Amino acid sequence: MPPMNRREAVRATTLVVGGLLLTSNGLVLGCAREPARIAGRVLTADDQALMEEIADTLLPTTKSSPGARAAGAGAAINLLLSECYEPEQQVRVVNGLKELRKKCDAEFGRAFAALTTQEREQLLRELDATALRAKGHYFELVRELADRAYFSSEIGMTRARRWMLEPGKWVGCVPLLPGQPSWG
Amino acid sequence: MADTTSYDAIVIGSGISGGWAAKELCEKGLTTLVLERGRNVVHIRDYPTMNLEPWELPHRGAISRQQLKENPLISKAAGYGEDTAHFFVKDRDHPYVQEAPFDWIRGYQVGGKSIIWGRACQRWSRHEFVAPEKLGYGMSWPIGYDDVAPWYSHVERFIGVCGNHDGLEAMPDGEYLPPFDFNCVERHLRDSLRTKYTDRHVVQGRWAHLSKPNPIHLQQGRGTCQARNLCMRGCPYGGYFSSNASTLPWAAKTGKLTIRPDSVVHSIIYDSAKGRATGVRVIDAHTHAVTEFQARIVFVNASALNTNLILLNSTSPRFPHGLGNDSGVLGHYVCHHNYRTSANGKVAGFEDQYWYGRNPTECILVNFRNLGKQDTDFVGGYTTFTGAYRSQPEPADRVGGAYKDALSKPGPWGIYMYMQGETIPKESNHVRLHPTQKDQWGIPLLVTSVKYDENDDKMIRDWRTEAKAMLEAAGCHDVETRDNHQAPGLDIHEMGGARMGRDPKTSLLNEWNQLHACKNVFVTDGACMTSTGNQSPSILYMALTARAVNHAAAELARRNL
Repeated sequence: MPPMNRREAVRATTLVVGGLLLTSNGLVLGCAREPARIAGRVLTADDQALMEEIADTLLPTTKSSPGARAAGAGAAINLLLSECYEPEQQVRVVNGLKELRKKCDAEFGRAFAALTTQEREQLLRELDATALRAKGHYFELVRELADRAYFSSEIGMTRARRWMLEPGKWVGCVPLLPGQPSWG
Repeated sequence: MADTTSYDAIVIGSGISGGWAAKELCEKGLTTLVLERGRNVVHIRDYPTMNLEPWELPHRGAISRQQLKENPLISKAAGYGEDTAHFFVKDRDHPYVQEAPFDWIRGYQVGGKSIIWGRACQRWSRHEFVAPEKLGYGMSWPIGYDDVAPWYSHVERFIGVCGNHDGLEAMPDGEYLPPFDFNCVERHLRDSLRTKYTDRHVVQGRWAHLSKPNPIHLQQGRGTCQARNLCMRGCPYGGYFSSNASTLPWAAKTGKLTIRPDSVVHSIIYDSAKGRATGVRVIDAHTHAVTEFQARIVFVNASALNTNLILLNSTSPRFPHGLGNDSGVLGHYVCHHNYRTSANGKVAGFEDQYWYGRNPTECILVNFRNLGKQDTDFVGGYTTFTGAYRSQPEPADRVGGAYKDALSKPGPWGIYMYMQGETIPKESNHVRLHPTQKDQWGIPLLVTSVKYDENDDKMIRDWRTEAKAMLEAAGCHDVETRDNHQAPGLDIHEMGGARMGRDPKTSLLNEWNQLHACKNVFVTDGACMTSTGNQSPSILYMALTARAVNHAAAELARRNL
């Protein structure tokens, strides 16, 4: 992304989110066809949409802040994975998503996007427990990418946390108010 | 003036010491040409990332795989990031030969590494100037603390250094702007060490930041530090000191300054009939056209190792082994700071305390080793930088809204420490010119042959023991210490090779930073260092530069140069 002002950045994010919401409705997912590739990206449009669903299950909208989908996590994950991760890690994620799809099908008979929130959370908790036991499990990378994409987004940095480009001053010691977010 | 090739003074390099040479020379009324091998960087205008939000960076601050692959070396440097990479060289453009692993970190542009420096500005103690000789691991400096003290003040007043007056022998006080506050756990660390020890002082960072600018800083067009801690992108406020924000525009205001970017210095020209240097031979970085510039005096501030390279490459019938190198010492006694070890621990409590803003400084745990006397199994001292932070929370349930909200909150407190240790200047640690390999300008490549030694290992062992004990004294649990075995050079505190000394047989420079054998050439960057001390070196280079210019101007007036 070339330098752009804040307004433009927000607009770009919103458009991407709109597109992904469409795919996540299952309109595209159910079709038998070649998965749509995205130029310069490792994840297909379907995989990117699935990653965003996973990210949004890990980091959903709450009372305090919008979640990963609102933050455009899918596109950001795809960008980071494609340009900042090793080929070996990329393969691990791509294969991992295949595995996750199979698991969904076997356990629920439905795609991840069609699961209830409770079912999604249950599935990801299982995967998380597995990944904690087995080093190098793909879900470790999936979680890392989701966290990274969300907490480096404008929403993650300013609505979940409280990043400011220009604090204006330094005060070493102030009381932390109940519920106060970190500075990001 | 731009068309002339003749000046009163030439300064090679526009970094932290070159900028100071330019300022002082111009203020003395001398027409001054600053030669910079890199591109021009104008304060504010050429800081493309300074106001970008983190999510506006192409990879949100991460280095891409491609960039890492192309720059395995420079990308290791402290401060190298997606938002700052344009102020560091690219590996492929500037090769050198590592006889032993050495990470040579360079920033080739107007302002040099002063844009991306660490900004710590402690003074040397009086012990550090004499310890190597007194305690038998080196040579004494030809000058002492009292010679430098007024020049430290001169520099501190102009660049603006924040800090507290702590009254400590190991780290003398200077002329300070108000310090940045401790946070509550840093204060706790200070108090804990005060209770447990008599010689462990944690003090507020002495950093080149305008916490509260004086008129002299406002006159430079600089303003109050906004606690962004995005310094290395270049600061739109001039909140920290750099050549670009301060000395170079100040020098330009005199009307005496010419800055010539894209000017790779090949060598200094020596006229044996006149018995002096007459100028500098320059290769245009792009066209490779060769131009010679003349001056009455030359200041060499090309950065420690490049200064060695230029002097070694400045050969003549009188000086076949490099300018001023009658002794054969040039290129030897290269040293650096030992940055291999660090520690951290977790702190319980203080959950209801936080901070506001981003502190651009770090606390300093002042040297307590071998201060004026030998009290360990290694020689030299160490400074420790430290600070307290809040880590990321580690919630047990890692899925869903509670997880996201937990990650959005500050986690438990931790304290980090890392060491900046003195190393021993050794004849065997050296740089030299490669006999055949040359760079794209036909200049011989530099060969680096610099290694850690057993003394460094012993110092690291001691530091790890002490750091653990001190962190535990502050109530830390899960304390970890480590030795990362990083190569010399990554400290970006390389020094020496053209050291100062009383005896021309064992040193290159006299007590005024003049080449013993060619008095109108001054070396006042890191190359001049006789020993490393344990303080951050940049402010000493600046002070020695101002002192040397003052001497040079007086000698010119007396017609001695």
